[in-house]
Amino acid sequence: MEHMELRKKAEDRFITVGFPTTKEELWRFTDVSPVASAEFSGEWKPSSLAFECMDTICLVFENGRLSMERSCVLGLPAGVRIGSVMDCADARIGRLADSQSAFVAANTAYFGDGTFIGIADGVELDTPVHIVYLADAPGMVCHVRNFISCGKNAKVTVVEEYIGPSSPVGHPYWTNAVTEVFVDDGGRADHYKIQREAPDAFHFQTLEAHIGANAAFSNHAVAVGGALGRNDIRGKLAGQGGEAICNGLYLLKERQHFDTHMFMDHAVSDCNSHELYKGILDDKARGVFCGRILVRQDAQRTDAIQSNKNLLLSRSAKVNSLPQLEIYADDVKCTHGATVGQLDEQALYYLQTRGIDPVQGHAMLTFAFANEVLDEVQCGPAREYIGNLVQAWLNEVAG
Amino acid sequence: MALLEIKDLHASVAGKPILKGINLTINFGEVHAIMGPNGSGKSTLSNVLAGNEAYEKTAGEVLFAEQNLDDLAAHERACAGMFLAFQYPVEIPGISNMYFLKAAVNAVRAYQGREQLDAMEFLDFVETRKKVVKIRDDLLERAVNSGFSGGEKKRNEIFQMAMLEPKLGILDETDSGLDIDALRIVADGVNALRSPERGFLVITHYQRLLNYIEPDFVHVLVHGQIVKSGGKELALELESEGYASWSGEEGP
Repeated sequence: MEHMELRKKAEDRFITVGFPTTKEELWRFTDVSPVASAEFSGEWKPSSLAFECMDTICLVFENGRLSMERSCVLGLPAGVRIGSVMDCADARIGRLADSQSAFVAANTAYFGDGTFIGIADGVELDTPVHIVYLADAPGMVCHVRNFISCGKNAKVTVVEEYIGPSSPVGHPYWTNAVTEVFVDDGGRADHYKIQREAPDAFHFQTLEAHIGANAAFSNHAVAVGGALGRNDIRGKLAGQGGEAICNGLYLLKERQHFDTHMFMDHAVSDCNSHELYKGILDDKARGVFCGRILVRQDAQRTDAIQSNKNLLLSRSAKVNSLPQLEIYADDVKCTHGATVGQLDEQALYYLQTRGIDPVQGHAMLTFAFANEVLDEVQCGPAREYIGNLVQAWLNEVAG
Repeated sequence: MALLEIKDLHASVAGKPILKGINLTINFGEVHAIMGPNGSGKSTLSNVLAGNEAYEKTAGEVLFAEQNLDDLAAHERACAGMFLAFQYPVEIPGISNMYFLKAAVNAVRAYQGREQLDAMEFLDFVETRKKVVKIRDDLLERAVNSGFSGGEKKRNEIFQMAMLEPKLGILDETDSGLDIDALRIVADGVNALRSPERGFLVITHYQRLLNYIEPDFVHVLVHGQIVKSGGKELALELESEGYASWSGEEGP
């Protein structure tokens, strides 16, 4: 890997700029000082975490380091390359994630491993690729970098999962991930991101997607873990006829803080982007959703929908929701909306009149709220996997 | 034993008295119609019976198959065999009709000490009930009432009733917003469910529905009280004369 200059620049940038503060507009609601002031001197160790592998193609990292023993990438079809990002010579690495954020800069400067997936033009990989990042080393930083290249008329499904122990590790670790995705003309990349880090962990990720003409990209981001976290999801519809679906679900309890910042750039005409984000918050949890859709002057006939809905299970839970549309073209169809509320009392009554007791009714309606996002998941195994995760979370909150 | 005995029932909504002393007895196998103008307390009566907490019973007694309703929460009333077909069925996005029905059927069975139906048994049961009350398969797969037309929602209510096999079916203005074809389909469903073990309370503003669901008894509800009771011919009388003689309102 020869990206010395890129890395040097990023390091300079990180040192000069430093961590953002709440005085900056993009970080108004998320205070990262716990990360900035923490000491990360933990040592690497192999991970003792077990996990459920979703399918036969699986890449497993232990505290940021690829473990070939636990991975399974044998017998890949022709035109499919899956392995360590350190072995990837693609010159486009770092081109999307431009280091403007301190987190991306730190990642570019210091990343030590990550995943590379390359699908050649015209190749359709039907088996989902499951990337698993196991983290349980106290006080460690894992800067992981992923690079996904989906060629012209190619197809790939990736499940990127971050797993920590279910109880605090004591001295929090910090996952700082960057994923860059290129979907070339006519390609289709479906990306799922599941974040279930340790309850005291820090998790930050920037996902950047570049979507070509008549290409389709989808991202479903599910967050249940971590004490403090954020997803920055940035898509650029760069060719006509492109389509982006970015959906998400955040399930937060206790004092968890999770922030989603979405930016969708309609750079050319005739593209669609749909975003559905839902949050369920209990206890004193705090959610932030900021979604910005930019429709540039040339992006005529844009169809963009953005919606953020939140369900508060406790009076002390809180959400800041900021959907934003910025439109410079005149022939577009754009809508956005945000809601924050409680369970529908009428629906609860309706279930009761059918014999369903209030406790079960409450659980059913809460699951139903999340289910709208699950329904959009096209990949069957991923839908089942995420569905189980949501159910387990709800059982825990109810119990 | 009477199926339902309402004795001097008073109820209020948000502190405002609506029902002012209702007396009514329904026996197994009977169909009673309650007719009345807007604001007479028709929907309040159905909600008080079903156990809606927004409605407060202030006096009187209601016995359902000899059980005092005060002792039963809304879901227990349903489990004990009471079914309310809503005037405005609630949309529940995110829960499929089938999943919902299975949860309801098994909740009722659990309460009654009967075995739970597994997935296969449940599907078989749905098939047998579909022969009684017709419903399109796609409506069963879709989220509960979500995006259903008015007629589809009412048909779904009747199908749920067929699935839950209640002792008492309360139809709260089931005819409202239905065209004549939808009305006929819904009425056919109700008629198919009539049996000596089951009673119905049909609440309606208009006589029209009673052309299709023939009641044994008709009661006129005005200002929170039953002012007249009679046979099915009373409905026809109301159709021609309206409620004006009781309420001072314009007729229908």
